[in-house]
Amino acid sequence: MAHAEKATEFNKDEAKVNWHDKALWYVREKRDKSAHGVIGWEHLRDVASGIKANVLSNLDNYLIEFEKNAQNNGIKVHWASDAKEHNEIVSKILADNNAKKVVKSKSMLTEECHLNPHLEAQGIEVVDTDLGEYIVQIAKETPSHIVLPAIHKTKEEVDELFQEHLGTEPSGGNPEYLTNEARKHLRNKFLNADAAITGVNFAIAETGGIVVCTNEGNADMGSHLANVHIASMGIEKIIPKEKNLGVFLRLLARSATGQPITTYSSHFNKPAKGKEMHIVIVDNGRTEQLSREDFRASLHCIRCGACMNTCPIYRRSGGHSYDATIPGPIGSILSPGKDLTKHSSLPFASTLCGSCSNVCPVKINIHEQLYKWRQVIVKDVKQPVVKKSILKVAGGVLANRKLYNFSGRMARFMLKYAPRFIVYSKLNAWGKARDLPEVKGQNFDQWYKVKRKK
Amino acid sequence: MGREAILKSIKENKPTGIPLPEIDLNNFIEDINLLEEFKEKAQVVGGTINELESSETIEDVIKKQYPNAKEIVDCSKKLTSLTSISISEETNPKDLQNIDLAIIQGEFGVAENGAVWISENSFPVRVLPFITNDLVLVLEKEKICQHMHEGFQLISERERTFGVFISGPSKTADIEQCLVVGAQGAMSLSVILI
Ligand code: SF4
Repeated sequence: MAHAEKATEFNKDEAKVNWHDKALWYVREKRDKSAHGVIGWEHLRDVASGIKANVLSNLDNYLIEFEKNAQNNGIKVHWASDAKEHNEIVSKILADNNAKKVVKSKSMLTEECHLNPHLEAQGIEVVDTDLGEYIVQIAKETPSHIVLPAIHKTKEEVDELFQEHLGTEPSGGNPEYLTNEARKHLRNKFLNADAAITGVNFAIAETGGIVVCTNEGNADMGSHLANVHIASMGIEKIIPKEKNLGVFLRLLARSATGQPITTYSSHFNKPAKGKEMHIVIVDNGRTEQLSREDFRASLHCIRCGACMNTCPIYRRSGGHSYDATIPGPIGSILSPGKDLTKHSSLPFASTLCGSCSNVCPVKINIHEQLYKWRQVIVKDVKQPVVKKSILKVAGGVLANRKLYNFSGRMARFMLKYAPRFIVYSKLNAWGKARDLPEVKGQNFDQWYKVKRKK
Repeated sequence: MGREAILKSIKENKPTGIPLPEIDLNNFIEDINLLEEFKEKAQVVGGTINELESSETIEDVIKKQYPNAKEIVDCSKKLTSLTSISISEETNPKDLQNIDLAIIQGEFGVAENGAVWISENSFPVRVLPFITNDLVLVLEKEKICQHMHEGFQLISERERTFGVFISGPSKTADIEQCLVVGAQGAMSLSVILI
């Protein structure tokens, strides 16, 4: 189903959409406040972007350096070309350790690889321990946001889910009560887990260590209690030097939620005595994205979610409308690289306003890449008749100044005088969700000419 | 399989010759009182600050603030009359599940975000600062740096095992964006400045 159709589904509950829109905008505002409080913020973004560009140009060597240093510290390193290999490696490590109960902390990569169903099919219990991920797991859904996985759920919905799965009392959705009940339940899971799986925020070539950031402390509860810790990372998570963390840790949480840093920034360099630590390095389409000059900067992403919070389309269409592990603006440039036909509508789910690029801490030119994907898609993928004919007409109109002026006048005339059913017809998707502006009689051109004469 | 194929594909597809930029710390010079800034940020992130009066001991503060704490692990070796459960590298981390209070010596604080760096040398069982119900970090007032760049300079020579920057108590806002303190890690964090 195309993005617009799924977004229509989401928009059926207007109150919820309005809440979703406002909640995410509020997070965006917190990000602004936090970022503006840091002098030299733009320098940080420049350097972060530069480091990531350097990483891509030396990625193979950094990975080799990382592997060597990690191994010297007693960490076992594995490589997986795709999701299937990743899942098989994880299964094998678990089988070797006779691990049947697994606790997992947030990792978009394991979502991307569909690790949970793979392990469950082998009779392994997997519990997502980030509260948001736990909520979507028991709801049998997927995260709709990379930092706020359950942002699409109301507290009443969580209340019902917890009654069913945790036997809680009806609380009308009291967040403190529900969080505390989840804490008790998850504690038990942590204490009985045989293995813990975590993501990786940064992997440092120079030291062979990894850094995992959480607010809840779930990655640490899992990895320090279980005997085996498996950390899965995409190849692009590498940074050259430990001191580069100074740059990224200053940017990440501020961009994500407006916090000055996450509660826990845990630096794993060696397994604890008597324990095992494994790192699985995964490609799964990333080297292919690296080969696309126009799109490779999408691999700079540090998964802060800021582009989602700011995106007017994301806020009003919900993460699930993107039908991909990573939704929102960044997802819309990553997903077409994986499956152009399936995700061909995503680069169009944007106003190209550029807000995403403006907030991105590693300065990915997201909106430009969206535009570039559109050009690829219009050439390569069969378009629905309506979109195609509109694009054709638009192309012709924009190329011809006289026609452009005329059509502008015509549109304003239509808005003023045409009956409502024409303006808000099916052909005009924009009229569906909002009333078009009242026409004041002049367009910018005319207004400017009048002003200049004065 | 995986390894060689991935490295080969990177080599064929990567851009070339992009230098690693250096950060210019001059961009971050600010005329601030490090201690005041740290205290403010540590509270913004949900922590409590206790500045020790000259007549007070750490133990006084602990008794006042945690009157009901029974199972206490003191890694800072600052308690005298309160009994501390002794733990070592050999302790099974699961045995720490009923700990009420852990006291750990912080190495330094970071003014810009209220974080305190603690490393495995100061607590023999890694799960301790997370599994304890309440966490107290003891920090010397002079040991506060301005930002994370300085922070990483300070730990550049450490023995690398496990270490963590902790900024406030564990928290979540996963239910309708309502902030709830006390998610899976410690329910509260208090920094005692000495
Ligand atoms: S693309 Fe940029 S803004 Fe979006 S999640 Fe990635 S790092 Fe954050």
